[in-house]
Amino acid sequence: MRSSWLRIAALAMLWSLLLAAARTAAQEYPVTERTLKNGMKVLVQPDHSIPNVALYIFYSVGSRNERPGTTGISHFFEHMMFNGAKKYGPGELDKVMEANGASNNAYTTCDVTVYQDWFPHSALPLIFDIEADRIRDLNFDPQKIQSEREVVASERRFSVDNNDSGILDEQLWATAFLAHPYQWPVIGWTSDIEHWTIEDLKHHFEMGYSPNNAIMVVVGDVSSEEIFQLCEKFIEPIPSHAPPPPVTTVEPEQLGERRLVVHKRAELPLLFIGYHVPQTGSPDFYALNILRTVLFQGESSRMYQRLVDKDQVALSISSSMGPALNPSLAIIAAQPKQGVDPQVCEKAVYEELERVRNGPITDQELEKAKNIRLMEFYHQMRTINERANTIGTYEVFFGDYHKLFQAAKNYAAVTQEDVQRAAKAYFGANNRTVATLVPDDQEKAKP
Amino acid sequence: MTLGKFTGRLSGLAMVFVLVAGVSGAQSIHLPPHEKVVLKNGLTILLLEKRGVPLINLTAIVKCGAAADPAGQEGLASATADLLRRGTTKRTAQQFAAELDYMGGAFGTSTSFDFTNVSAEFLAKDFAHGLDLFAGALLHPIFPQNEVDKLLAQVLDGVKGAKDNPQSVIGLYYQGYLYGSHPYGRSEAGNELSLKRIQRDAILKFYEANFVPGNVILAVAGDFQSVEMKKRLEDALGVWPAKPAPRVVIPVMAPLKGKKLLLIDKPDASQTYFCIGNVGIAETDPDRVAVDVVNTVFGQRFTSMLNKALRMESGLTYGASSSFDSHKAPGPFVISSFTKSETTVQAIDLALQVLAKLHKDGLSFDQLASAKSYIKGQFPPSIETSSQLAALITYYESVGLGDDEVNQLEARVDAVTPEIARRVIEKHFPLDDLVFVLIGKASAIGPAVEKYAEKRDTRAIEDPGFWPPLAAQK
Repeated sequence: MRSSWLRIAALAMLWSLLLAAARTAAQEYPVTERTLKNGMKVLVQPDHSIPNVALYIFYSVGSRNERPGTTGISHFFEHMMFNGAKKYGPGELDKVMEANGASNNAYTTCDVTVYQDWFPHSALPLIFDIEADRIRDLNFDPQKIQSEREVVASERRFSVDNNDSGILDEQLWATAFLAHPYQWPVIGWTSDIEHWTIEDLKHHFEMGYSPNNAIMVVVGDVSSEEIFQLCEKFIEPIPSHAPPPPVTTVEPEQLGERRLVVHKRAELPLLFIGYHVPQTGSPDFYALNILRTVLFQGESSRMYQRLVDKDQVALSISSSMGPALNPSLAIIAAQPKQGVDPQVCEKAVYEELERVRNGPITDQELEKAKNIRLMEFYHQMRTINERANTIGTYEVFFGDYHKLFQAAKNYAAVTQEDVQRAAKAYFGANNRTVATLVPDDQEKAKP
Repeated sequence: MTLGKFTGRLSGLAMVFVLVAGVSGAQSIHLPPHEKVVLKNGLTILLLEKRGVPLINLTAIVKCGAAADPAGQEGLASATADLLRRGTTKRTAQQFAAELDYMGGAFGTSTSFDFTNVSAEFLAKDFAHGLDLFAGALLHPIFPQNEVDKLLAQVLDGVKGAKDNPQSVIGLYYQGYLYGSHPYGRSEAGNELSLKRIQRDAILKFYEANFVPGNVILAVAGDFQSVEMKKRLEDALGVWPAKPAPRVVIPVMAPLKGKKLLLIDKPDASQTYFCIGNVGIAETDPDRVAVDVVNTVFGQRFTSMLNKALRMESGLTYGASSSFDSHKAPGPFVISSFTKSETTVQAIDLALQVLAKLHKDGLSFDQLASAKSYIKGQFPPSIETSSQLAALITYYESVGLGDDEVNQLEARVDAVTPEIARRVIEKHFPLDDLVFVLIGKASAIGPAVEKYAEKRDTRAIEDPGFWPPLAAQK
């Protein structure tokens, strides 16, 4: 039990550390920005510690811009971006990149499609040539469409159909959302995967892939001048058009608990609980993250101590709240032990949530959560790859990459009252959707 | 949920062994300078100063692992490592967690066949406290009975639960079927039977025999001054009493002759997961760099021969790859992929055709040049952080390799010619002697896959253990 003097001193120390971290980050990692004539915003952060570069392009188009019948088209399109344009034909993009020491990947979410290139500085002009080629002149070869459709079907079987967490997660989102496009899976429903047409792809390209709907982030062994010169040469001449139409559907308020059950062969049950939360960058964002840290992060967290250590009803318990442009979900995931009724885990989770709704977290818990967030901030800053992803994510989801350097200050400012208010606002029974996987053979499921 | 072009997943094998590489062009890659100190008690310490973020990483390798588990008590080494933090002379498991989390620190262990890795990370300002936690776990664990019981019950459920997702377990079946009763055939975390046999006594004995300073290499990397750090480490770890370190000898298993196939029935599977291969190389094999260059072309990167054939050109799968998982003694080589049940035979046939082509045609100068460029260009991010560097230098030290693995790798990679590639393909990549392991819906694929081997075995996924069947084990 520390004296109040020591507590004040510790708090002051933490505050100044968080602020110092923010200042240091902004100084040591200066970002230069420019908006090209065609509307693409380019952010460059030179860092010469390794002779490599991470280049990301964030397009503000994802599964939320889709329609029933063509769900999954954004993700499919992402695959097709690698399958041939004008200058670099099918298979050539990857071949040429790898022969020059480069690698690539991409990911699609509900909100964005992000293309990632990692390469030595020597490959810089080539990367720009490749990116310009596919932004401007992506080609859709019917044979490629068919084989890539099969690849996506295989990916769906791998990530969802043959994966218990994937199945349950998909059903959770589909049940939590009645109206908003977050309802359907990013990978698309199986029947939609089977029916995509070349016209769907072309329409998606026209809708989402305009330079003014994209942000480029370059971090690594470069200078801002050389990047802007390459942008002027390769990217700026690409014409823009209207960005995707706005997503106007607003999910109506959930008025009562929703429940779903999946019955299948399985050794272990599974439990996911989704709560509606505001979009990223809302006033409650930092308090929500502090709350989740106190409840779920580390073995001293309330939920771990209760479910895993004391009651011993779960192998693990965690939470997630991904970046989102529209109101989304915070999800609690519990892995019940074999033979444990998931409702036993549910009861324990709700009791712990009630505790944090009814009384403030302790000073020590608040400080702990801020220290954990500080450590996370450093992890986000320590590689060129993580920095590129983080800068781009903040620019898209917070509307301004500068907010990244204010995050530490914002976390420092969160109070116990803020945390309790967030717990009361979002973690009540009416706001939850409960998804449970129950193994088929209950007899066999007993330990 | 986010999905992407390539998840870069790992198969069920513990670690994909990625050999290091240099960078192309004008700049050559070197490990940052680091200092080696051996304490009087035999503990080896490596110090690597690195400015940037104000963090310090501690990575210790203890030269014992799952291969030292007594037969029938698989999972002992892994459980011992998991329990280090769950009760020490100064702290209960809960106190350890509370102090660690309060600092925003990290602490973790992982057990492979030959090594146990104990690592931690702290803000530089918290290092003294962090070191106290770390040293407590490494030197003074007490293995309270209730924590032992809790942990073993958790691991047991985890082993069962892993079988719900085929990609998590196919590697365990594969190493079991390939290595049989050889130590590398075990499941590192244990199986449903062995975990019930492990007693606290055995854990204590294992700890006392293996966790001795002469058996440990500790790297400290990050934002510190070496002179001061040496003193801190000496104070915290110099008191660890010296004891003889056990010698673990792993027999060398030669590649299997002939073909055999294991089919694990998972009746609700719509996709078949398969592994094909044989015994590969040890981590100090003189051919390791050449093997890496060849494997980069054959199955490691996106445009590899395997991925090109099975994904890019035919759409049969989301991903096909090959890897050498090298250990102290030769570890497994494996081709891995998956495809819907209906195209199982098509995909396996195609993978075998690509393997045959590798042997028949070898690799051209251009293919090798591309691989070399790729390896060198992709290397620098693998030594960007203190934790990566700490892990690498402890690893080299523990297997008896040196900084030249990095500092000379450009030259070694560049030296691989088509002739060397051909020799390495013939020596280390199997052709007709193959082990097949499949997880899928037996009623759909069983008859069709019989053609791959005369010697065949089957299991149900819910049968306890992996391979050999537990009833047959002593």
